[in-house]
Parts: sequence; C-alpha cells; structure tokens
Amino acid sequence: MVLAETLCASILGVDGVPVRVEVDVAFGLPALTIVGLAGSQVQEARERVRSAMRNSGFELPARRITVNLSPADLPKDGTGYDLAIAVGILAASGQLRDAARLARTGLVGELALDGALRPVPGVMAMAAAARGAGASDLLLAAGAASEASIVPGLCIRGAATLGDVVAHLAGVREIAPFVGSALPATPLPFDGPDLADLYGQPLARRALEIALAGRHNLALCGPPGIGKTLLLQCAAGLLPALDDEEAIEVSRIHSVAGLLDRRVPLLRSRPFRAPHHTISTQALVGGGPRVRPGEASLAHRGVLLLDEMLQFRSDALEALRQPMEAGSVTIARVDGALLLPASFSLLAAFNPCPCGWRGMRRRACTCDEAVARRYAARLSGPLRDRIDLWVSMDEPTSGRGDSRPQPSSTVAQRIAAARRRQLERQGMANGDLSPRLFDEAHGISPSVLAHLASRGRSFGLSPRRLHRATRVARTIADLATAERVSPEHLDEALVYRTPVQL
Amino acid sequence: MIGIGAAGPRGETPRSVLAALPLEHGGWAELDLTGIDLERDRPFWIALSLVPGVGPVGFARLLRRFGSARGAWAAGEGILDELPRVPDDAAVGMRRLRRRSATAIARAVETATRQAGGRVVTALEDGYPTALAEVDPRPPVLYLSGDPEALQATCVAVVGTRRATGYGRACAIEISDELARAGVTVVSGLALGIDGDAHLAAISAGGRSVGVLPSPLDRIYPPRHRELAARLVATGGGLVSELAPGQTPGRPDFARRNRIIAGLSSAVVVIEAPDHSGALLTAAAAVDCGRDLFAVPGPIDAAASRGCNRLIADHLATLITSPASLLHRIGAVAGGRAVSVASLSESEGLVLGHLLQRAASIEELMQKTGLATGALASTLTLLEARGLVDSYSGATFHPTLTARRIGRQTGHPG
Repeated sequence: MVLAETLCASILGVDGVPVRVEVDVAFGLPALTIVGLAGSQVQEARERVRSAMRNSGFELPARRITVNLSPADLPKDGTGYDLAIAVGILAASGQLRDAARLARTGLVGELALDGALRPVPGVMAMAAAARGAGASDLLLAAGAASEASIVPGLCIRGAATLGDVVAHLAGVREIAPFVGSALPATPLPFDGPDLADLYGQPLARRALEIALAGRHNLALCGPPGIGKTLLLQCAAGLLPALDDEEAIEVSRIHSVAGLLDRRVPLLRSRPFRAPHHTISTQALVGGGPRVRPGEASLAHRGVLLLDEMLQFRSDALEALRQPMEAGSVTIARVDGALLLPASFSLLAAFNPCPCGWRGMRRRACTCDEAVARRYAARLSGPLRDRIDLWVSMDEPTSGRGDSRPQPSSTVAQRIAAARRRQLERQGMANGDLSPRLFDEAHGISPSVLAHLASRGRSFGLSPRRLHRATRVARTIADLATAERVSPEHLDEALVYRTPVQL
Repeated sequence: MIGIGAAGPRGETPRSVLAALPLEHGGWAELDLTGIDLERDRPFWIALSLVPGVGPVGFARLLRRFGSARGAWAAGEGILDELPRVPDDAAVGMRRLRRRSATAIARAVETATRQAGGRVVTALEDGYPTALAEVDPRPPVLYLSGDPEALQATCVAVVGTRRATGYGRACAIEISDELARAGVTVVSGLALGIDGDAHLAAISAGGRSVGVLPSPLDRIYPPRHRELAARLVATGGGLVSELAPGQTPGRPDFARRNRIIAGLSSAVVVIEAPDHSGALLTAAAAVDCGRDLFAVPGPIDAAASRGCNRLIADHLATLITSPASLLHRIGAVAGGRAVSVASLSESEGLVLGHLLQRAASIEELMQKTGLATGALASTLTLLEARGLVDSYSGATFHPTLTARRIGRQTGHPG
C-alpha cells in the first residue's frame, strides 16, 4: 500500500471546505510534487514538510511522491495543509502504521522546520467543514484548539509537534481532547467614550439610538469639531451582546480573517469596524485573488463606521450599496460567485462641504461653488436612498445644558430591549425586514399606512424612502415598548428623512 | 471698491461713501433725444454700441460730440479719442467691425437676438424700460426677452452674496415670496446664492421675476442657471442683458449689470452681503439712481451680514423688520394666500410659538418646551407637513410665512 489519504480543510470566503490530501509514493526519481491548484504558500509546504519530518526523526522517502489536494479545481492557498501532507506522506511510506484513527481525523496546521505545529487562521470554519466531511476528531496546533472548540460535535485535540500527532494516530501516546474553559457569555467591558461625556446634540443622540436598536443606517452631517465622530464612537458601547448563534457566525468570519484573539475565541461584543478613508474597495467589501472578508463582512451583525464618508473613494462607497440593501456581498469569481455575509449598521459622518459650513446658521460657506458641488456629488442618489436616518448637526447655540445626558448604560438597556422585541416578533432586526413583510403582524395598521402615504405626498418621498421610514418608525415604537406603530412614531421617523442638502 | 469698510458706524458719513463710488455721470439728462430720427439712426445705435470701449458713458459723449450715432459711426476710428476708457485692442476691433455696414451689423444682431428668443431695444424706443430711461448713464441698447409687462409693474430688486448662510437664503425666499404675491416683479442678477433663491421663490409663489444677465442672452451665466433663466421667461418674467449675442462678458459687465438691476427697480433689498460683495455695488447704484435701499440686518459677528449692517449703520439703507414692513414701505399690498388655520395641538402650539419668536435648533426647542426628543421630532414633522415650519438644511427650524401670518392672527409675536 503506497497510497494514503488524510483530511484537511480550506477556506472559501468565510466558509470551510473539506479538502482530502491524497499521497502517492511511487518508484522513480526522488521528487515531491503538490498538485490540485496549490498556490505558492502551499508549494512552499514541500520545504517545511521535508525539514519538519527530518527534524522529528522521520525520513522523506527517496521516491517519487505526488500529493493531490482534492477537490482539485478549488484554488488553495495558506499554510494549513502542512500537517495533513506530512502525515499523508508518513502513512503512504509506511512510517505510520495501523492508524485506524486517521480515517476520521481532520488535520490542520502549519509546520515549523523543527516539527512544531503552528496555528493558522480560520480553524473555526475548517472545523465545521471537517465535521461535515465525517470527521470525529480534529488535530491542530494547541494554540488554535480553543478557537476550534467553538464548533460542537467534534473532538478537538491540540498537539505541540508533528511527533505528538504521529504518536497519537499510531495509538502510542494519546492526546487528550481539549476541554475549553467556559466561554464568555457577555461582552468585554467597553472603555471607549460614553454618551454622558458629550453634551448637546439630542437629535443626533436619538438617531444613533434608533439606528442601533433597529439596525438602520445613519448619516450625520455637520461642520467640523462638533462631536460627530465622538458620538458615533459611543456606538460601540451601546450595542447589545451577540446571542449564541450570532456569536459563532461573527467569530467564524473574524477567525477566517485571522483577527480572533485565540485565548477568547468567541466574540460576544458586536463588531465595530472603523476603516480609514484611504481603504481600497477590495479591503472594504472583500475580494482579492484569495477571497478574504472585507471590513463590510467583518462588521457583520455590528457597526461599520465611515468617518469623513465623502473622503472615501467613490467606487468603494458605491460597492457598499449591495451589502446595505441585501446584507451580503457577492464576489464574482472565475469559478462562480461567492456570498459573504455583510449585514451591518452603517454609521457615517461627513462635512457638508470642504470648508464644513455650508447651510449652517451662523457662518457662511467659503467654498467655491463648483468645488462644493463636486464634493456633494460623491454621495450618489442610490447611496443616499439607502441611508435611513439623516441628522444635520449645527453648532450648539447654548452652552452646557442643565440636564445631564443619559449615560451609555441606560441607552444600551433600551436598545437591547428593543432588539429583543424585534427578535421575538419577527426573528430579525427591523432593518432587515423586506417591504412585503409589513402588515398587521408588525403592528402597522392600515390607518398608519394611509398616514404614511399622505406624508409621502406632502414631502415628495419615494416608495423606497417611505418603506425605510416605516422600518424606522417600527423601531421607534419598539424603543417606546409600543405594540403598534402610531402616527406619532411615523412622524418622528420622518424628521430624519431629509438627505441633507449638500 | 465702494467705501463700506470695517470702520465703525461713525467712521464714515454717507457722503463719503457716495464719493467713493466708481460711478460716472454720462450726461444723458442733458441730451436731446427727441430730434433723432429713430428709423434712420437705429442701426447706427446698435453698431456703435458694439464698438469696444463704448459704454453707456462713452455713448452719450459721442452723441453729444457728433449729434447722432450715424455721425459718430461716420467719424470712424476718430471716435476712440473721445471715449473715457479705451481697451488696447479697440482700434483693431473697430476696424474689424467696420468691414460691414452699420445696417448689416444691426440686421445680424437682430437676427441673433431673435434666435436667442429676445428682442433689441434702443434707448430711443417705447419698449425701453421706463424706469431705466430715468437713469443716467443708461445703456444705449438693451437685449430683452420675456414679457415686457413684467418690467412695467412695480419692480423690486432682491440681491445678495453668492456665499449665503442658511439665514440669508431663508430671508431671500421669504421676502421674494411676499413681494411676488403682492404682484411685485422681483429683479435680481441670476447669480448663485441669494439671487437664485430670490428668483426661484418669486416664480414658485406664482409671481414674475426678471433676471439681469452679466452675459448675452444666448450665453446664460452662470451656466447652472440656464434652466432657471428659461423658467423666468416661461412664467411671465424675463431676462435683460446689455450685451449683444456672441459678445464675451468681461469684468466691467458684471459691475454694470448691478447698475441695471438698480435702474430697473424702484427699490433694492440687500439680503446678505459681506464686505466687498457685488451686492454692495448694486446698493451703491441704488443710492446713486435715487432708488429706495433696504437691507436685512444680520448678527453683528456674521461676516456674511457685515455689508448689510454697515449700510444700515451708515443710514444708507432702511432696516427691514419683516417682509410685511417692506411691502408697507414700497406701498404694495400683501397678496392673498390660502391659509388653513388647522387647529393645533398643545405641543404643536408650544413649538410653533417658540419658533415664531426665534428660529431654533432641536436642542434649543427641547430646552424651551421641555418636550422629549421623540415627541419634539414628531411635532416638527407634523408642522412641516402642514407647511408651517421649515428648516435650514435640517439643523435649524424656523416658521414659514404662513405660520407667521397665523401667528399675527392669533396674537403670537411674529
């Protein structure tokens, strides 16, 4: 028997795909060939495997060795195949015998030259793929064990070296299954800015609360230095915790991107992503030859903050249209389209014009008219249409108000309660509701719809904007713990309707 | 520049401001135009007005020297010596012009003007705006389009800076709206900012508005207001230009445009003007032509209102306290408007009452009314939907004209 097969896994988008590693050891000139659309990182596995085997006391047979990564038409990259390739060669060359366990064990990990096993990103998705392929065990680097252990129904064993893995598979020295410490059930404490630290801007505060409670998109427009950014940064401390299902979903995306803290592998805080405005389109929505989740996907179930939104590249902004509407990003590839989850609240801040004072009460804008026009044109109509809440902020005219604003903790409680109501009623946030999902079941009566239509006529609003206003009104009602949406809720939602005149 | 600078209210007397005006008197008043044979001299008027360096002042001087436009035309390049200011290439331009006969030139200009939808009117003819015919110097030839009636009605100019604040734009809209409803033709310069708002508000209110161009009729400036210009003509207003089709506007044309604006109007309202604003040139021309000058006051720390505040401080302009006070001063009667005094709820009345005292942000309204953000927001939407409240780009709310009218009826200050 000179043929062996081991099980590994690859990442496609944010999902794992089981990969079978077939090893053939044949007579011929000594060679090690890896086929199956193996990228350069996989090709380099040859050198790592060669050294690691020798330094672990094994030998690379002086034969013609062919390694095939199946499915052979799936492009593969990364270093996670090292262990599966090494073990496959050992099994095929007879250095690992009677390995009954091999058939139902997934092997994931990068090998160091001395035979040590190193963790790779994305093991959570890989573990799920291995389980799907019928594996009962998953052997990987000890450091990645807790991350993989999030996936239930799989026995995770963390090994330190290639030697340990072989000893375990041969039944010589068993590696104990990983028993994780209790995973966090609550988010880490937030130490960013608190709503109580800011003064004034009640409308913007309120809009932020609504946006986070119902997963709506919010844009703040105003002159520089009035606290737009600070206010939006408070959002991270206002978001409700992820529930179990969401936590796994979000953690897996972050695991694929290699952003997970391996000691605390389950994210409980909602993602809060604030990419810089020089970001490329690919980095924002994902993509690239080896598809990686972009900021939009990393913000899945959380917040994507675009500070100085109009400074972003316009093609990057336009690329956000799809996730803002559909909650996912489609990446077209030669071999088909890939769907990455990207359902987030977009929180944006920008100045109304390059100088920042256009349309403000006290100061005149000093921008050249044509420059200001070009600036405003960066925000396209379709993008404006997808923003539910608009708040135009002006300088506070008075000093510190008498009433102290509510702290983040109080507002966060209201937001969490409103989210719970939405999940109980319809299983999703209001921002995810599609137009035809609106009816009596959502507490929206025909009379409210008639009120909506009449307001639509007064303000000249498109059906899409009216629908978005209805979803916002539903969230306002949820914040008020009201079963039914009232005309007053709708009217409040319409205060935020104006796409600021730029 | 016009002598309205940073000095305090006592720094300059009105006299010194006028003395600093770059305005010349052309002596049109002394000219006897009655003896001129309109039929014969008209083509020469048109041709002569096209000679580089011949402006309203120079034209009058030539008439005085040669007796008629025909005589001046016959004098050839010699007339250039008579002109107050002659551009360097004037002789070249004149030679090129004189390759054709005055009749041919006039015919070509008439045709081009007709194609641009306008008509040529010399200062000799009946169609020449009556108000402008009193002004000295006056443009010898005007290019007009639209309804001649618009200029026969009472005309009031509403002018201001291109870089307007929200306050200035709202004032321009309210005042033009009120003027248009009273049947007054709103005259302005078709520029961006205040001018454009004034035109738009007037035609939106169903009134008439006349735009005075710094450019020829076939070349609307600024190009972005091409559609607005067409609407002015379509809604019974019109356009006025001093340049023949095909001519290129230069710097002096922008300044001269301001004179025509003032000349056409019986009163000039300056909405918002920083120091050195073109609107102040119009103000200066208004004083010079003996037109009533009004200015909208602004905060003393607002750069955009400094010019207006100075006009008021120097007693050159009358302060406007409300659109109604302006109508009263110019002797117009406020126009009718369907006002539906729908019964307001307690919170609506509260919010509107405060807004009638002073435009305010949501924050200020919360402090004054004690309403919660949500309740206040829905109240504002309701008031907006009823057309009682509007906002400066969503940040500051103010009552509309309708609301002010209701406020007066119900005793709210406004």
